[in-house]
Amino acid sequence: MSNFSFLNPFGVLDEPGTYMGDFYSHNFSKKAKEGTVILNLGPQHPSTHGVLRVLVELYGEYVMRSEPVLGYLHRSHEKMAEHKTAYGFLPNMGRVDYLNAIGWNWAYAASCEQLAGIQVPERAEYLRVISAELNRISSHLVWWGAFVLDLGAFTPILYAFDDREDLCDILQRVTGSRLTMNYFRFGGVGADGDERFFRLIREFIPRMRERLKMYRALVTDNVILRRRLEGIGSMDADMCLRYGATGPILRAAGVRRDVRKAIPYGIYDRFDYEIPVADRCDNFGRYWVRVEEIEQSLRIVEQAVAQIPEGKHIVDKAPKPAWKIPAGESVFSVEGARGEISVHVISDGGKSPYRVKLRAPGFSNLALFAEAAEGTLLADAIATLGSLDLVIPEIDR
Amino acid sequence: MSTPEAWRDAFKEAGALAVTRPDPAKSGLALSAHMPAGSLVAAAEKLKAGGFSLLFITTADFTEGFLVTYVFDSFTEHLRMALRVLVKDKSCPEVPSLAHVYQGAEWHERESYDFYGVIFTGNPNLVPILLPGDDPIPPPHRKGPDVIASIRKLGFLGEAEWASDGWELAPAPPETKPAAGAKPAAEKPAAGAKPEAKPETEKPAAGAKPEAKPEAEKTAAGAKPAEAGKEEGK
Repeated sequence: MSNFSFLNPFGVLDEPGTYMGDFYSHNFSKKAKEGTVILNLGPQHPSTHGVLRVLVELYGEYVMRSEPVLGYLHRSHEKMAEHKTAYGFLPNMGRVDYLNAIGWNWAYAASCEQLAGIQVPERAEYLRVISAELNRISSHLVWWGAFVLDLGAFTPILYAFDDREDLCDILQRVTGSRLTMNYFRFGGVGADGDERFFRLIREFIPRMRERLKMYRALVTDNVILRRRLEGIGSMDADMCLRYGATGPILRAAGVRRDVRKAIPYGIYDRFDYEIPVADRCDNFGRYWVRVEEIEQSLRIVEQAVAQIPEGKHIVDKAPKPAWKIPAGESVFSVEGARGEISVHVISDGGKSPYRVKLRAPGFSNLALFAEAAEGTLLADAIATLGSLDLVIPEIDR
Repeated sequence: MSTPEAWRDAFKEAGALAVTRPDPAKSGLALSAHMPAGSLVAAAEKLKAGGFSLLFITTADFTEGFLVTYVFDSFTEHLRMALRVLVKDKSCPEVPSLAHVYQGAEWHERESYDFYGVIFTGNPNLVPILLPGDDPIPPPHRKGPDVIASIRKLGFLGEAEWASDGWELAPAPPETKPAAGAKPAAEKPAAGAKPEAKPETEKPAAGAKPEAKPEAEKTAAGAKPAEAGKEEGK
């Protein structure tokens, strides 16, 4: 390689086949500075949580510039919506974000219900809240284990998966599946909770509270974890606004924004719970917000299980599989585990929705990574990436 | 500045073609401002100064052109609004980029570029984001009048609160009559719809609707409204 240059390490011509690497590494290397190294993180690296690829330009151990490369798990969910019936698209929602299937179930079902003016029975509203909050806890637990694993601690993920196993058992009672749950229907939910379902939840809540105490002693107060997280990966409120970052990232930047409180949907206004907010803007703030949210979700579930009335779990004359969404447009947002999930439906009254847009919170949250990671150590950039709680299928859709 | 009325005036000042008010209970949108491509950045700058964040950008293919919708919400108070740009030239769709106002717009714009080929002029890195980088952009689109809907026929944009003379998505003259096709669902007249606007302008929209229902007849029947839409466009 006689013509190798640090300024343009992947070649000089733009035609494919004339440069080293692929399109994205070539595109990224065009702005490379002398003396730096361009490195691909992923798409098969464990710390990228799936198939995210991040191109980084390193000067020694420092990240000068970075660019996430997406699309390795793009399954065209939005295009599928244009070919399936509105009802037939429901199972896709469990597959957009495999850790927070119920959140997506809710966003899509409610968006269509809003447009059609379908009312949901009281009992179904409670079942929706219970399943969504349990799913939020299970999502946060997986994040918690995987994040600490990124930082080099192996044991906590085994504890997290032990607790998540209980949640899978509970949700399986009503949804029938453990991961890609398809529980919501237009006008209610797919199945009523039985005695065993509620008993498992009542057993789970005190057990989880004890476990949270243990997690605090074992991990949260650990000095090594604190040193890895405190003061690293600053994302302030202005940055969140410019990138549209939501969820725990926004709340760790001191903004009290939670869709459950801001735009109370379902019956969230009936419960007594707090929105954890930290103004640290760093990795530890985001860690703390999520761990606190587990406790708040337990509070909501506890109240919902105590208050749930008898009744139907789905409205009479609920839409059938061949149901057509009335013509019009509808946007509906819910608070998912990772932030604000929005589903935008345009219907022409035909058998399939005309256009469905899935607003994945992870997509906007990841967009801010490049700015946040600039000038940090590579190991800290990995911690920052983990603190964003990325689920790649959701980002790629 | 947090009421829809205040924002309507702000968008009008920024050069909006029309400001419509969709039914918030059905659409989840408080306000929808239709901007000419040239005034989009000015409106976005006002929204940013007002503490609004860009939630997402979505593009949809209609007979009138590509409808690019930008949805905003405030983090401090809830007011979800949409800015819309209709790009008529489908062979070379160009919209100014918002990436220097909202950095997060860069990725959303790249996504619309991937699937619809909309070119966001000024985007710092307009390369495919979800599709492979060296694939032809855009992928094939829906084709034929039977599958492409007309904005005017669907009429989901809501009643025009104010419209300039240049706004053609409403055949009704501005000021005197709200936009045509304001509420598409003929069987469910919306509570907020003004009755005097209905008789003349609503009928084509109402007539167009049943055609979408039987799938077998859709191909044959769907062709007519699309042609009608073109004529109206001229």
